[in-house]
Amino acid sequence: MVPAQYYLLLSAAVFCIGLFGVLTRDNALYFLMSVELMLNAANINFVAFSLFWGNLTGQTFALFVIALAAAEVAIGIGIILVLYRNFGSVSVTDAATMRW
Amino acid sequence: MSAVSIVNAAAAAPLQVVLPEWTAIAPVLILALTGLLLLTIDAIWPGRNGNTTFAFVSALGSLAALTVTVWYLVAGTGQVGGSITLFSEAIVVDGMALFFTAIFTSVAALVVVASHDYLAGHENAASYYSLLMFATLGMALMAVSNSLATVFVSLEMASLPSYALVGFLKKNRGSVESSLKYFLIGALSSAVFAFGISLVYAVTGSLLLSEVAAGFDDGVAGFAGVAGIGVLMIAGGFAYKTASVPFHFWAPEAYEGAPAPISAFLSSASKAAGFVVAFRVFSTSFMPLLDATPAIDWALAFAVLAVVTMVLGNFAAATQENVKRMLAYSSIGHAGYALIGLAALTAGGPHNGDVMGAAMAHLLIYGFMNTGAFLFIAMVEYWGVGRTFEDYAGLSTKAPFASLAMAVFMFSLAGLPVFGGFFSKYALFASAVSAGFWWLAAVGAITSALSLYYYSRVVKALWIEQPNGNLDAIDSKPTGLYAAVIFAAVATVLLLPGFPIALETAEAAASALFA
Repeated sequence: MVPAQYYLLLSAAVFCIGLFGVLTRDNALYFLMSVELMLNAANINFVAFSLFWGNLTGQTFALFVIALAAAEVAIGIGIILVLYRNFGSVSVTDAATMRW
Repeated sequence: MSAVSIVNAAAAAPLQVVLPEWTAIAPVLILALTGLLLLTIDAIWPGRNGNTTFAFVSALGSLAALTVTVWYLVAGTGQVGGSITLFSEAIVVDGMALFFTAIFTSVAALVVVASHDYLAGHENAASYYSLLMFATLGMALMAVSNSLATVFVSLEMASLPSYALVGFLKKNRGSVESSLKYFLIGALSSAVFAFGISLVYAVTGSLLLSEVAAGFDDGVAGFAGVAGIGVLMIAGGFAYKTASVPFHFWAPEAYEGAPAPISAFLSSASKAAGFVVAFRVFSTSFMPLLDATPAIDWALAFAVLAVVTMVLGNFAAATQENVKRMLAYSSIGHAGYALIGLAALTAGGPHNGDVMGAAMAHLLIYGFMNTGAFLFIAMVEYWGVGRTFEDYAGLSTKAPFASLAMAVFMFSLAGLPVFGGFFSKYALFASAVSAGFWWLAAVGAITSALSLYYYSRVVKALWIEQPNGNLDAIDSKPTGLYAAVIFAAVATVLLLPGFPIALETAEAAASALFA
């Protein structure tokens, strides 16, 4: 069996790739994809440690996370659509009428 | 079913002996049914402008949930004879859950009544009210969550409708922009939160809060790094939901751009919802980490966050010209005060229940005074008077009662003596001192003194300065908004004599977690 640490390293790597995407991309759609990567990094952990601990909690919860990610994308696409209608682009930096 | 819940079932509260045990989550069910009922009504009579009907149904639903919650609180459901757990312990009903459900449902009721005027003539009233009910449902579920799985799912159930509500004015650029920022940071923090949960699961092999605690009790030797990062990431998820540093920067944007009733809802109810899960998760699951070897001192992390949040929120609020944005930053500052309830916890500390109870009581009073203040802003937006301090000048000549209510909210938020906010802050700081965290109380007291400056600017503009000619726009009396503002003011004042009862209930509920 592959040792548990390897899964932790894999998921940490996927998480960091997603985080890098979130921090560097302007396009809101890329942002959504990067968040998906981060959520799937969590899923890797859940499934791997479900096997490690020999219970099904992790696998079940991974299904919850997948469903919630889908719901989140549905809301996100809706918001990005109205963003496009109002600002004429899907770049997160264009929507800056309020100061930070 | 574990041994614990069987014992609970045998010695359950008197009320849930007469009633079936599942009725303990009746408030949650009422909110869910109300949301579905709204959608059903809209489906049966599509195209009908049913703003009044929808507002009436949702007000009735949230008031029914509030009534049942208060009834349970008085009858001792989940308090006498231990908490009631359902669904293999994934759901728990105890004093803390009921206390916070009372906050969420009363804020929701106020917001619904105020939204009736705000939404007059708007075409999608049904979706607005149903989203509001579903968001409240998510918060009520957060209050009863007893497993990291239900915590995550209910947190998302509260967040997703909120994103849509913030962007509800979809032709208004500010509303869309704020909804985008709220959503982006929300999505990011929920991913961080999920990853944190996965790390805690990796170390303990369970998601139930009690089993996670047992897992940590056995020690985290060899996994301390993984556990520590997981706990910090979970804390980050809560920081987002409660609008605390470092995930606070969505708050000024979202509160400024959102429809004002929604700002009221998010800054009061959503913040309290973040705190209830944080309180439960950290006090139930993560307490053993405080004195484990090696110790993972999350309380210290919260202490740092509390100080930074208090300072940043109050200083930023002092520099604002826009009243709504000022209130947004002040709500960040108040998140810092409530964070003391987590920061001043110590392993086996005798004052843990007092500190957390005082933070809960502060969140209750804050719920009314802050909702009222934002609803006053909603009324001013409704009149189209303007957003800055100058635009507010002389409003008392046109709307004396509402301005008086606003003065009550401002002084109470600042924590002046004889207002509700004073007692809650006093109880909070006093309990922090007795727990040995005098420096937290000192920072809190100093920043509260500073906050008096910007709160009194509002009162000065309303009552002392002369109108500068922009008040002619005021030509209507929005009854619902008026009623909501006045009611929130009455509740803020009534919580003065009622404060000892609220504090006692809160402390009993919090102490039960540490028993």
